[in-house]
Amino acid sequence: MTDMDTERSAELAAADSGQIKTVTLDWRMGETELRYAVRVYVILPVIFLLVTLFGGMRFAAADHSFLFLPPPLICLIFGAITIFLIFRARLIRFDGWLNEASPILENAANAVVVFLLFAASVQVYNLLLPEQGLANWVVTALFIWTLWNDIFADFDQKKLLRSLAGLFAIAFVTKYLVLANLAVKNEASWLQRVIENPGKEAATWFLDLPVYAPATGYLQFFTILLFLFGLFLIPQAARKEELST
Amino acid sequence: MRPPYIHIASLLIAAVGLTLIVFIYSTRPKNLTEVATKSSVAIGTYEIDPKEFENGLAAFRRDEFEAARAAFDRADPEKRDAAVQFYVAYSFYRQGWGRVSNDNDLFSKGLVAIDQVIKLDPNYRSTDSGLAMKTPSELKAELEDGLKITVSDFNPMKLTRERK
Repeated sequence: MTDMDTERSAELAAADSGQIKTVTLDWRMGETELRYAVRVYVILPVIFLLVTLFGGMRFAAADHSFLFLPPPLICLIFGAITIFLIFRARLIRFDGWLNEASPILENAANAVVVFLLFAASVQVYNLLLPEQGLANWVVTALFIWTLWNDIFADFDQKKLLRSLAGLFAIAFVTKYLVLANLAVKNEASWLQRVIENPGKEAATWFLDLPVYAPATGYLQFFTILLFLFGLFLIPQAARKEELST
Repeated sequence: MRPPYIHIASLLIAAVGLTLIVFIYSTRPKNLTEVATKSSVAIGTYEIDPKEFENGLAAFRRDEFEAARAAFDRADPEKRDAAVQFYVAYSFYRQGWGRVSNDNDLFSKGLVAIDQVIKLDPNYRSTDSGLAMKTPSELKAELEDGLKITVSDFNPMKLTRERK
């Protein structure tokens, strides 16, 4: 057997061990891989971008004009903890998304999707936290308490999704149903409002609640659903064949 | 389709989306019309509405200053045109001017408008023959002078002065 024959045998052995599959994948994707890639690289970024855009959006009570509120610093911390929990619960596998064996372009695209997930998480907390006053302090403290406990809890993917959905649901109800109904929305004078509804006026003043148009609640409801749908769609690994193995 | 194409597409989607989000959160438009206007400012295609500007000028020459400013606001909602903003400042001056005393509130608003003109185009010079003050610095000096209380304010000859 010549040296060239030996080299060919080695190449065939390497091909048998699955390396040839990687070469094929680098060249052209099949139908299933394409659908999978569209989900990871197109649908998920669009979902997370929409959540990032709408998370800080409110409608003014007076004229329904747009208000865009950037996230406070605490939301970035909550977002970082959420990403940590997502990795820890293996909702996404770190080596399945960022891997030195993958091409730089693929790693960059994966890193961007993970970054968009972080940005969307930050904006979800931005939409759930009351903007100011006593309510802001109370809900922030409750979020810290819950997320701190979650860091030490034994999570799997389903438990994490259920936990986040439950946390977001209760925070949404608190802000957009309970607190929003305590805030006075009418255009009457201060004296008239105090006479007509002293309890609401007192709650608005005491809790220092900002007043938004009801459309804000509807928008934020669908924003949270969209985020949870994005979490549901996100795979453990960015490549399909890595997922199956 | 080759994998690099979809990775590039993903990076482009993210870049365009994030740019749009940063732009919206930094400019804070109040409605969809403002989104379009602010976008045209950002990409350099912003232009004033010449018809509204003409309406504003007509109202300005009839001394209907509030109507003039409303038309100027519609003509230049982003306050990016030095000529329009010069007329806005001038309208505050003419409306606030008084033979005995000036309206400080209107003069202060005029100062804000003229500062905007100086920011947009420090060398702006009006070609309108109906205006006695042609440059922002002249108008600014007049507005600032009108806001100050000096000994010359008590000069009875001041009653004979004319509005510029």
